[in-house]
Amino acid sequence: MKRAEYKVPGGKLLAAEVEVRDSALVRVKLVGDFFMHPEEAILGLEEVLTGSPLEEIEERVESFFGEEGITLYGVAPGDFVKVIRLALAS
Amino acid sequence: MTETWRLIDMRIEDAPTQMAIDEAIALNRLKEDNPNTVRLYRWRPSAVSVGYFQSLEKEVNLETCSALGVDVIRRITGGGAVFHDYDGEITYSLVAPESDPKMPRDILASYQVICGAIVEGLKTLGVDAEFKPVNDITAGGKKISGNAQTRRHGVVLQHGTVLVDSDIRTMFQVLRVSDAKISDKMIQAVEERVTNMRRYLGREVAFKEVRDALVAGFEKVFKVTLEPGNLTAGEERTVEELKAKYSSAEWVSQR
Repeated sequence: MKRAEYKVPGGKLLAAEVEVRDSALVRVKLVGDFFMHPEEAILGLEEVLTGSPLEEIEERVESFFGEEGITLYGVAPGDFVKVIRLALAS
Repeated sequence: MTETWRLIDMRIEDAPTQMAIDEAIALNRLKEDNPNTVRLYRWRPSAVSVGYFQSLEKEVNLETCSALGVDVIRRITGGGAVFHDYDGEITYSLVAPESDPKMPRDILASYQVICGAIVEGLKTLGVDAEFKPVNDITAGGKKISGNAQTRRHGVVLQHGTVLVDSDIRTMFQVLRVSDAKISDKMIQAVEERVTNMRRYLGREVAFKEVRDALVAGFEKVFKVTLEPGNLTAGEERTVEELKAKYSSAEWVSQR
């Protein structure tokens, strides 16, 4: 498992735990002291990223948050991509 | 006539019960047409609560908690880890419908209003408190209160901590500082960013004083009278059901 933390400037702490097999994410967990409404949406985000080819991560995150109704405080959608990339590079 | 909200006053319970009560009030608010509710409470035994999205083992020193008899629980709200020191901390919670005219629809704006009640209360005791968006209250530039909100079942549930005389050394023994801040210098810096009412005022502060001040803060900001009351039979039943969830490893250790 690879792990990285990222403190969003002026925002919250975000961390990603990832496992990669055959150039795809096979496990991803996103943790931190941020706020997401509704909270259970985090499970949906992890689900759409599980199985994602590495080159599709950004697209899948963007499309997930592009849907209506998810509010974030302390982090932005791009920060999830960034912390996953940091974990992959660790 | 002044609107009346219910006050559930300084109930002392363990961590699963406290979290079950907050959620039970939220769940039943519209279903039972209960009044808006403010709770003030203390945790016995002392406990660490982690935010919904936090990693339990990265945030909490579980061995130290176990050695000190400190409970560990996961909240339904996001945000950071909190040490609820039985001897030094008061937690509040507020439940009101999202449609309540006194509750801004915008989440950030509603933090400001609800935290405003805490700020008002602290000011009556001479603490020059200030709301720091998103979810903190500071005094003299140091954090004295952390707050977290969720919206579900058509209601706003916000709970938060007011540090009265929390043992800040123990706080940083039970909470783990992230790897990004692990040098001694940084740990010191983290400790210096937190204060409590006794430290700030330089005198003993009784729970009763803080309780009275917070009640006054809520009454002033929301233009209501807080009337002491109890949970309904329906809420008590929900509490019993939810306690099992909050006590389970499946919930507490889920991330």
